[in-house]
Amino acid sequence: MPLSRLLLLAVLPVPVLVSGCNPLGVKPWQREILARPAMAVTAEPMDAAIDDHIYFSKEAASGGRSFGGGGCGCN
Amino acid sequence: MSRSQGAPAASLPHAPDFELATREGGAIAVCFAAMASPCELLLETADTRAAAELGQLAAREAWRIEAKFSRYRPESIISVINRSQGHAVRVDVETAALLDYAASCHTLSGGRFDITSGVLRQCWTFDGSARLPEVAAVEALLPLVGWKKVRWQVPHITLPAGMEIDFGGFGKEYAVDRVLSLVTARFAGAALVNFGGDLAANRAPREAPWQVGVERPDSEREARLLLELTQGGLATSGDSHRFLLRDGVRYSHILDVRTGWPVAQVPRSVTVAAGSCVEAGMLATFAMLHGGEAESFLGRQGVRYWCLRDAND
Amino acid sequence: MQLKRPPAQLHLGLMAASCALLSSPVRAQTADDSGQPLQLDTDVLYYKENAGRVQTVEPVVSLKKDFGDLRTLDGTLTLDSLSGATPNGAIPARKPQTFASPSSTSLTPQPGRKTTLYTVAPGDLPQDPHFKEQRLAGDLDWSQPLGLDNTLSYGGHASSEHDFDSVAAHAGLSHDFNEKNTTVSAGVNEEYDRIHAHGGNPLPGSDYELYEKESSQTKTVSGALLGVTQVMTRTWLTGLNYSFDHSRGYLTDPYRILSELDAQGDVSGYLYERRPDMRTRQSLYWFNKLALGSPVLDLSYRRGKDSWGIASDTVEAHLRIDLGRGMYLEPHARWYRQTAADFYELYLSAAGPLPTYMSADPRLAAFAATTFGLKFGVSVGRNGELSLRLEQYQQRPSEQSSPLPLLQGLDLNPDLKATIVQLGWRLVF
Repeated sequence: MPLSRLLLLAVLPVPVLVSGCNPLGVKPWQREILARPAMAVTAEPMDAAIDDHIYFSKEAASGGRSFGGGGCGCN
Repeated sequence: MSRSQGAPAASLPHAPDFELATREGGAIAVCFAAMASPCELLLETADTRAAAELGQLAAREAWRIEAKFSRYRPESIISVINRSQGHAVRVDVETAALLDYAASCHTLSGGRFDITSGVLRQCWTFDGSARLPEVAAVEALLPLVGWKKVRWQVPHITLPAGMEIDFGGFGKEYAVDRVLSLVTARFAGAALVNFGGDLAANRAPREAPWQVGVERPDSEREARLLLELTQGGLATSGDSHRFLLRDGVRYSHILDVRTGWPVAQVPRSVTVAAGSCVEAGMLATFAMLHGGEAESFLGRQGVRYWCLRDAND
Repeated sequence: MQLKRPPAQLHLGLMAASCALLSSPVRAQTADDSGQPLQLDTDVLYYKENAGRVQTVEPVVSLKKDFGDLRTLDGTLTLDSLSGATPNGAIPARKPQTFASPSSTSLTPQPGRKTTLYTVAPGDLPQDPHFKEQRLAGDLDWSQPLGLDNTLSYGGHASSEHDFDSVAAHAGLSHDFNEKNTTVSAGVNEEYDRIHAHGGNPLPGSDYELYEKESSQTKTVSGALLGVTQVMTRTWLTGLNYSFDHSRGYLTDPYRILSELDAQGDVSGYLYERRPDMRTRQSLYWFNKLALGSPVLDLSYRRGKDSWGIASDTVEAHLRIDLGRGMYLEPHARWYRQTAADFYELYLSAAGPLPTYMSADPRLAAFAATTFGLKFGVSVGRNGELSLRLEQYQQRPSEQSSPLPLLQGLDLNPDLKATIVQLGWRLVF
């Protein structure tokens, strides 16, 4: 499926997530599991950075999760 | 330590200071003072040594909670947060749970219950006199009131400069429940914790349910309301000692955070029974915030309650 | 004044909230709860490919300072030491092939200049065994709150190796709402690189033996990222990132060549590769964090597409399992596949017309890759943690043979296998 169509399909649910009447989510007193370190979006930044560097030098696609790194001569 | 670190582990403010007494029915009472109230722990036992140990545990826990959360103590986490001048403060698990509770109560009460309302004390002094503040003085403080203005995301809380929070609305009830669960973990018999009229029991003594007398405020009727309590919490919210009286109109100390002015037609006292002391206390507080609608509000919740009003209300 | 919800529900809500309050622990249970302001991470990565190919030893040191009020500073230093044989883009032949190491100027010895040649046996994949590189990189990142519901972050990067220098900067803003259940973020980054190959940059597409040079080249990369994170339930967090980047400048690999073959498959010469001077990439990255009781599953899918015709799919899963007593195990699996670039060729035909863009770089070929790994960690002392990560990476190209008579039976693009070992040590103060 072309990326543009995939993007459109992905964007359509977003207004539901973002609308004022929010059927999704938890109350403040229900966040005890989400507060665990392993539940953070990037739980192990060092491993993620090392993996990103390995795959950047061996594959054509890269990143997607975040950016901030610079280039290297390995690609 | 940087200014935004939490309070250090509570050290005892003074050596354990309590006394033992025997109550009618055979229970031993351990009495001490905490949170500006007379506190007692009633235990269904004849073993004075065990009672003394449990009493020490109860007193230490009450003093720990007081030292950690009282806004009158400069080293408490509440005081640290109130001094933070707009910087984020990192709080521990227990403080986070209390802040979450305050946030839920704010939502559940439709915004009436608000732990940031304390700054309004700067223009309201409820000493029984007729001195009302200027409208402009109250208006000036309103921008510093409002839980929605606080950034609370576990584990950091950020108060805009000039705002204050205060757990006084449920701190004593929380201490009652915590002390009861500590005692229950170590004591097989029935126990009742009573901090100045806010109380909770784990179960009724074998002989008969706990007999509780709730003080009634300045009324011509019987001095006390006598209740039987088997298990759960009981809390009373009262208006009898802090008010202003002007031109025959009584202004209670229960403030409506949306206007900064007292809620109208607040009952003289509300007593509620519920599953825990915090729950009972919060229901009583919500009822007071409903002013003239207090009775119908409590009726709709399906809980046992006792509401007292002055004859001339 | 009306209540927003039916009264019975209010009492239920209050009961639930009161229960939650009274069942929360009073004492801090994990070291993370104590607000440690300084964290030092030291990792050593050891990466080794099969068949005498590239191996790397890479120590990384990272220092993170938490100022206690949501402001954090992160500094990282990386040292990369690479050695081993790296494929040069030519394919195996039936006769020995001789190449010059990039430190040389040309295949023909020049007076006064050192020439390092290497010969590849028949049937072997041509790789330069003299490859050696050292890279030093530094990163600095800052994050702080902005107002009540926003977070601002920005940072920079610089790196240098013998033949490549890079500087980059990035900035991002995120906004929380819906009782902090939803976060939207946006970020941009800009990178500037300078490429100066050993011995000089060869002219792209030129003849290998002639080694016409040009001056050092530059490239710039501009990127943007948009993301949304949503708490779905008490145990499920999900998010979607869309990222876009545009590179322009010298995008060619200065060391890679292509074999030029006649109709039989005999080598008639070599040419330096040539890639377009622009590349646009887009990717959609969907991630999930799921608490399955005590273990936590990280599951993600990424779809990528770029203007060179490469489309990719990545599925990745990590499962963090706490074993108690400060120990944990984390198995990891990753599946990846990509299509070939439009201008990718395993080799060139001497007879046909010369394409405008051409490359035999295996990283632009069509292949599928898998990674399987296991990480083990253990708490050490009151404030430390040691970890060991073992991974196995394998790349399987789709195009590995040719119908040409002389190339029958030769594996023209062999599988790549690599072993990854990472030792980590973390200290919090």
